[in-house]
Amino acid sequence: NPQKYKFRTMNQKLLEAADYLDEQIDSMAKILLEHYKFDSDEFGNPNIQSQSEILTVGRVVPDSPLTASDADLNSSSLFLETSRLGGIGQRVKLDVSSLENYSFFPGQIVCLRGQNLTGEFFKATQIYAIPFLGSPVSSSEELQSYEYGNDYLKVLVTAGPYTPQKELDYSHLAQFVERVNTEVRPDTLVMFGPFVDVNHVQIADGSARFDGLDKQPATLDDIFNMVVAPILRKLECLVILVPSTRDATTKHAAYPQDSFDRKSLGLGKNFKCFPNPATFQLNEFLVGCSNNDIFKDLKDVVAGSARKESRFDRIANHVIEQRRYYPVFPGGLRQKRSLKEQDESAHISGADLHLSYLGLAEFNTSLPDVLILPSELKSFSKIVQNVLVINPGTFMRQNSAGTYCEVNFKAPVLEELEKAGDDSYLHTVWKRARVDVRLGGL
Amino acid sequence: RASAELQPLDSTISDSERFRDCRKFVMKCSSCHSSFDFGGIQASNKYQTTYSGIKCLSCQQMLSPLAVSAQLEHFLRHEISAYYAGWLVCDDCGIKTRQVSVYGRRCIGKSGKAYGCKGIMRYVYSDKQLYNQLLYLQSLFDVDKAKKRVLKPLVADHEFEDKENKPVALNQGELDALVEQNRDLFRSHQRVVDKYLAECGRRYVDMGGIFEFMSVFKR
Ligand SMILES: [Zn+2]
Ligand SMILES: [Zn+2]
Repeated sequence: NPQKYKFRTMNQKLLEAADYLDEQIDSMAKILLEHYKFDSDEFGNPNIQSQSEILTVGRVVPDSPLTASDADLNSSSLFLETSRLGGIGQRVKLDVSSLENYSFFPGQIVCLRGQNLTGEFFKATQIYAIPFLGSPVSSSEELQSYEYGNDYLKVLVTAGPYTPQKELDYSHLAQFVERVNTEVRPDTLVMFGPFVDVNHVQIADGSARFDGLDKQPATLDDIFNMVVAPILRKLECLVILVPSTRDATTKHAAYPQDSFDRKSLGLGKNFKCFPNPATFQLNEFLVGCSNNDIFKDLKDVVAGSARKESRFDRIANHVIEQRRYYPVFPGGLRQKRSLKEQDESAHISGADLHLSYLGLAEFNTSLPDVLILPSELKSFSKIVQNVLVINPGTFMRQNSAGTYCEVNFKAPVLEELEKAGDDSYLHTVWKRARVDVRLGGL
Repeated sequence: RASAELQPLDSTISDSERFRDCRKFVMKCSSCHSSFDFGGIQASNKYQTTYSGIKCLSCQQMLSPLAVSAQLEHFLRHEISAYYAGWLVCDDCGIKTRQVSVYGRRCIGKSGKAYGCKGIMRYVYSDKQLYNQLLYLQSLFDVDKAKKRVLKPLVADHEFEDKENKPVALNQGELDALVEQNRDLFRSHQRVVDKYLAECGRRYVDMGGIFEFMSVFKR
């Protein structure tokens, strides 16, 4: 429900934030209890000494309140935080030496079996994975009702910045739009912000200038309206816009983030503005997307076979398992290195989480078929738990060409799909999609 | 609507008092890159408000409207993001952290175990402070305040060690003329701040507070 994203920002309440953090643990405990058919008597408080093994659900946290959010944790610096109900909110040192395979990160909700023998630490002996949500399904009638031009649905995915780092120059975007209309001709183009990046150097120092205009823009909103919108308006396909908290063209500078206002941006009806994060349907398949760099911000402590997987696989798996687009807490932070972390003036930017509304960043009742998580790290696509996970990379990479993704979805053929019931079919989009990483702005 | 009702209560406090703890708006000249504290239409050795906008006194070049509003919005968004970094401080042990206990106000303590310290956690950058920071930026482009000489002074009087270098105050005739010449331009800068003030949840919290306050009187 897009209306829910219209909450007022800049009024974060500590108690509401805490309510959400507490609720996260208990609601996950309920899911685990039902899934594994645990006996609720098995649950105990991991903070207190006990003669027998217990089950517990909690949040992985660092062992010190002073740990920087981008610090590399290790296997001996992990604590487990309990809910108010599970252990009156106390935190206990986590001994993971008996666990063979794991990947832990701050903010992660975990279910563990183990024992607190001495009262000093909780020795975990087993991890219970959070069950995955089911995949969406469609009926044969629904599947046959969607259009696939030339048997394929072609979707392009781009993410900002759309200008070089040193100059607020949109000519690369203009060339791309030209190429999209004349050569690539997709059915849909999904564009992530930032479009006008509030942190661009030429905005920060006020030196941005635009040649070839009768009148110079007077505000950042003018830059969008006078420079960016005329370029975007040329696009002929369906365009989906997802904002970034770095976009100047929004007053909602927090995540979860309200959508752009299409009309005030002067964009036509082939544009759809979605919030950040958003879940939406393209033909039969469900797309989940979030514009907050989880691949950069999630740092895990890893051991065993999980170590052999790529970091991107592990993170994508965490997002899918945790059922939320941005499971890290506290959120990522960018600061000036020369200053102490606790010094506010060191702040550059961050994940800008509005905690009490993070429920809007949770998956609905099913997994998406396609998960788009833009990151400034190198672009990739992979299949994790039968979900096609895509990072298009950034359109411009500092001062050179970045990347974008072209995804071709083959039309569904009933006989080739997996049946989930009498007349319900799994979309198996991962079997039907081909992702090509292309060079962005040149 | 909201501001009109806020007026009678707020006007009892001067801007220098109310905005005492606000972060200064430092602007950079886009020609010579020297930076200066911007304090609205008032005397400064670093910049001058002319009949056609703000001029850098280091290089005598004018700052374009975009140069000012881009830096204004960049600064404002930086403040919002710093607010959302969510730093908390304990009023007892003084620990600063971005971790939040499931009880919110409870201190996690040096032990990291969320017991032991009886202190109360609160946000270092409160929503009230952020709201005030927005009002401060709004005031810098308030030409009527400039006219009445009620803007927060760039430098407090007692901070002037070198009295000879104190900028000469503008005479009223000059000031009145500057105010009228810059009214539209400054109003356009204020609209940048308005965009965020309209969104700011704190403003509505304040309104509630006022109604509560008034109902006390009605009783
Ligand atoms: Zn200059
Ligand atoms: Zn404390």
